Amino acid sequence: MNRKKAISIIAKQIRNNYLIAANGFISRDLFDVYDKPSNFYMIGSMGLASSIGLGIALKKPKKRIFIFDGDGNLLMNLGSLTTIGYLKPKNLVHVVFDNSSHESTGGQPTHTKKINIDKIAKASNYKVFKVFFPNDLSKILSQIKKIDGPILILVKIKNSSEISKRINLSALDIKHRFMKNLNS
Amino acid sequence: MNENNQRKLFDYLLKSKFEGFVGVPDSTMKYFIDQGLKQKKILITTREDESIGIAVGMSLANSLSVVFMQNAGFANSISTITSLVQLYKIPLLFVIGWRGYLKNDAPEHTKIGEIQSKLLKIIDLQSKILTDRNWKECARWAISQLKQNISCVLICKKDFNE
Repeated sequence: MNRKKAISIIAKQIRNNYLIAANGFISRDLFDVYDKPSNFYMIGSMGLASSIGLGIALKKPKKRIFIFDGDGNLLMNLGSLTTIGYLKPKNLVHVVFDNSSHESTGGQPTHTKKINIDKIAKASNYKVFKVFFPNDLSKILSQIKKIDGPILILVKIKNSSEISKRINLSALDIKHRFMKNLNS
Repeated sequence: MNENNQRKLFDYLLKSKFEGFVGVPDSTMKYFIDQGLKQKKILITTREDESIGIAVGMSLANSLSVVFMQNAGFANSISTITSLVQLYKIPLLFVIGWRGYLKNDAPEHTKIGEIQSKLLKIIDLQSKILTDRNWKECARWAISQLKQNISCVLICKKDFNE
């Protein structure tokens, strides 16, 4: 499964849940397959999707907050896993699309070829699920509905040559419609 | 700022509806942080840009936040400030220490202490320097900036040697 396929499966299944999408191709894929006001697309500040998601999860404990992260993004803010694991927000679901590469910048390798993110997440108090196939992804999404977070779903993906369109919303548009949806 | 006024500043900000106090500790403001720790209002993170990310999340949920850090951490955070805080116009109050203010501070602080004010100006972040006399005035100014959706900085000098 490639990233766009995985993103499409999850976004369509979780529907109106709040979603913080990491910069680069992750945000672009999500925008392309399932744009909605409760999506927060990151334009820059690589690595911080998990931190932004944590800030929202802490202030909105009754709402489930999903984070769409990549392996390169996660490695850039690895400390965030310990902060999330320390605080244990029940409503946080951290999805990591892992292709062991920085695909947005040309496919350069990341350390996840040799390092297991799932082990780091487990050691940081996450409940961890590892997925390789689309059917399993759907099953796990149903399963986690009854499980308290923090949850990490590690989705192993393959690189693909398909590139999604750019996000044609301004940063302020992204913020305003997200906030309106979150706080109303 | 002396111990008493650092503690008062914290309580003043807390009363002024700041809910999140997120950051990485700095000795210049240790009493400010201690005042928050005592009331279980402080979240210490692993890096300053992580603190900013969390505070941005809180702000998206309509909750006002303070991000505190040393000036070394401010230098670490410049890209996050320009590409997240400023790009999305997120109102945050930064409290940044000023190591290297005294000439005989530890050597790693010399350069950043020298360029800190210029860096703030270059990235268009308004700031005021806290003193024992003006802290309340500074806090009021910062609150009025945030109400206009503008992020700003209060600077806490290291004007004593331990």
